[in-house]
Amino acid sequence: MVLAGGRVDELLCLTEKRPKAAIPIYGIYRIIDFVLSNMMHSGIDNVGVLSQYRPYSLMRHIGTGEHWDFIGRKRGIRILPPYRGLKESDWYKGTADAVYQNISYIEEFNPEHILIAAADHIYHMHYQSLIQFHIENNADATVCFTEVKSKTDRFGYGVIDKHSIINQYIEKPETPPSAWVSMTVYLFKTQFLIDILKDNATQPSHEFGRDIIPKLVGKSRLFGYKFTDYWAYARTLASYFDTNMDLLKGKIPLKDWQIRTNLVEGCEKSDRLPARIDGEASNSVISDGCVVLGKVENSILSPGVLVEKGVEIVDSIIFHDTKIKRNAQLKRVICDKNSWIGENATIGTFGEKVSSKEFGDLLNYGVTVLGKNSFIPNNAKIGSNTVVYSSAEIKNEVIEPGSVLR
Amino acid sequence: MAMLLAGGVGSRLNILASKRAKPAIPYGGIYRIIDFTMSNITNTNIDVVGILTQYKPLSLMEHLDNGRPWDLFGRTRLVEILPPKTGEEIFDWYKGTSDAVYQNLGFIEDFSPEYVLVVSGDHIYYMNYNFLWTFHKEKKAEVTICLIRVPEDQAHNFGIAVTDEYSRIVDWEEKPKRPKSNLASMGIYMFKMNVLREALREAARIGGTDFARHVMPIMLRNNRVFGFEFKDYWRDVGTIDAYWNANMDIIRPNAGLNIEAWQIKTNLSVKGEIGDRPSTYFSRICRVLNSLISRGCIIEGTVRNSILSPGVKIGKDATICDSVIFHDVTIGPNSLVNKAIIDKNVVIGKAVQIGIGRSVPNQKFPDQLFTDITMIGKNAKIAPDIQIGKNCIINPNVNLMGINVIESGITV
Repeated sequence: MVLAGGRVDELLCLTEKRPKAAIPIYGIYRIIDFVLSNMMHSGIDNVGVLSQYRPYSLMRHIGTGEHWDFIGRKRGIRILPPYRGLKESDWYKGTADAVYQNISYIEEFNPEHILIAAADHIYHMHYQSLIQFHIENNADATVCFTEVKSKTDRFGYGVIDKHSIINQYIEKPETPPSAWVSMTVYLFKTQFLIDILKDNATQPSHEFGRDIIPKLVGKSRLFGYKFTDYWAYARTLASYFDTNMDLLKGKIPLKDWQIRTNLVEGCEKSDRLPARIDGEASNSVISDGCVVLGKVENSILSPGVLVEKGVEIVDSIIFHDTKIKRNAQLKRVICDKNSWIGENATIGTFGEKVSSKEFGDLLNYGVTVLGKNSFIPNNAKIGSNTVVYSSAEIKNEVIEPGSVLR
Repeated sequence: MAMLLAGGVGSRLNILASKRAKPAIPYGGIYRIIDFTMSNITNTNIDVVGILTQYKPLSLMEHLDNGRPWDLFGRTRLVEILPPKTGEEIFDWYKGTSDAVYQNLGFIEDFSPEYVLVVSGDHIYYMNYNFLWTFHKEKKAEVTICLIRVPEDQAHNFGIAVTDEYSRIVDWEEKPKRPKSNLASMGIYMFKMNVLREALREAARIGGTDFARHVMPIMLRNNRVFGFEFKDYWRDVGTIDAYWNANMDIIRPNAGLNIEAWQIKTNLSVKGEIGDRPSTYFSRICRVLNSLISRGCIIEGTVRNSILSPGVKIGKDATICDSVIFHDVTIGPNSLVNKAIIDKNVVIGKAVQIGIGRSVPNQKFPDQLFTDITMIGKNAKIAPDIQIGKNCIINPNVNLMGINVIESGITV
């Protein structure tokens, strides 16, 4: 079961029209591709995707599931949106509730163990070693952990003893008890899970990290599986930006990870031509269908981006089909799909570096974010730490740093 | 419905066609030649396509898959591969273009079409066959052939038509020594089904096996035959030079080729590929001018006026000019590749030089390789520091080592 419902406000306009799992990353992928590819490589045959926030882009991306070979008589992928039944409630009230409401889907397949994984992390993991660990320990539940360098309060922390038993688990503590944080990848004995979910359903709160896992400590056979390879997340703009840039630093062996994606999405009329380059490309990743006549440095371009002559793009992430017109200058910009950036526009370098008044810490990384379908007029100057929502209309030519446009 | 002739051997394309049918030859980085005809067919809303294959059809069949990339997939939409079959009456290898269609009359009749389009799968062009169909009906034609004007000195390579003021074909000669016009057949025919059936049967009775040579004269005698003149970009990539030029046309301004506007579709998912290829990485020291670069490449050197298929690695300080490089080729550091066509999976060591020195035609195939193009066959390996001249052929799977220089015009 893939938890793909989350919206998170921390990603501002990037999650305005899509769940976090559907955000484009590394050019051609979406974040959910990593967990789906891991599941495919691990020989998992049936996947349920729990999604309720604007699931359209996710549904379109997943399609029939054929891109991950989740298609066949005994192989499949289902988007499981909230539903109304006779007695059953409506919206998912948390991750545990989302799974609880789909117990009947799980029971259809009658699995002995069930894997539950969040869709918004970037890593390459063979779940079979986790499954083996889980079975060898005769665990009721196994939680995957990864070691973090900077301890922030965004994670769930576990203390794991030498027998791999979880002795302590705290969600978002003020003082973390260890450096091991939950990856939101759980493996449960199915019947055990169903029992605790039924029990949780009577409680007021329904989150795995907050309400389920802590209660199992000391009572059930709860084990911690330590994962030591690359793991990244995109919970904030800064972490999303850094995770992208890790690719350019060579930290992510994408080729070895064998990630699959949906390459024909948005290509109904024709496939995208290979990238046409007649400019400067330096330490950058450039996707199919791009036309680069200007300069691209330390940047990641999704398919179909046009970079006209005289343009300079530095340290930026540009999503699909955005057109950047002559002599525009972009630095530390995340620009969502289908945007239009006018001639001589200057984005990200203009003005003093001040953090966003409205978003404070969320938008103090010197990154400017432009929402889907943004239209930036010719000669516009936009300062850093600015966010432009997709419905915003830009009237002024000069947008001071730290602004929010809606 | 359409019948697509994809059996061509393409012998003048030398080692490009030694392991695959001509329509399956890669083109433009991610495409294969047949994609153009397949896309024209689906863009014209033709629902059923029979593919007549005979020569090394494996890579073609894999590429066409179940027709899905062209939306020719469903209960009433399909691509059917029609290889030669034995065990029924006289059936045997296809003896020619019309024989291939004749042997599959049963397949065509299953769909009871009123009109049948017969097309060849080895040309680069964009055409909306609906215009041809409308023309065909307006002229009350029984067969309409697409014609294009070719240079007078090349007319002898084609089927040549003479038309009257109403576009009716009054004279027809296949590869004439002294052409009466320069209106050449594009190998695209629109038939009325009942007329096609009769003509094919009559041709078979007299041992005729080829549309241009045997069926056309019969139809010219019996039927209303019209010529539909096509005036846009069309290339028969039948020679190595024409193939190279048609590739270069993609990056030449105003060459008349516009693949995106033509809505060309291909099959991007390759059987056996475990993961999708990531987007291409351009290193800090690379230099890329006027080139087409597919997904999954790593560019650390200089690429100029070239077309790279997916998965190509260009090493540090290597230089690639005017070349067409197929999938997963590795070119070592400090190497030079000048005007070459390099087939899949070739590994070129460091400091290799290709396409240098004197301009002399290939000794073995002087009429095929004389415009300074050097060809390197699939899976070949070139050891470091070797120099290879112009108009050379390195055959597939050759492991070239223990030699310093391959002079221009040599075949290995």
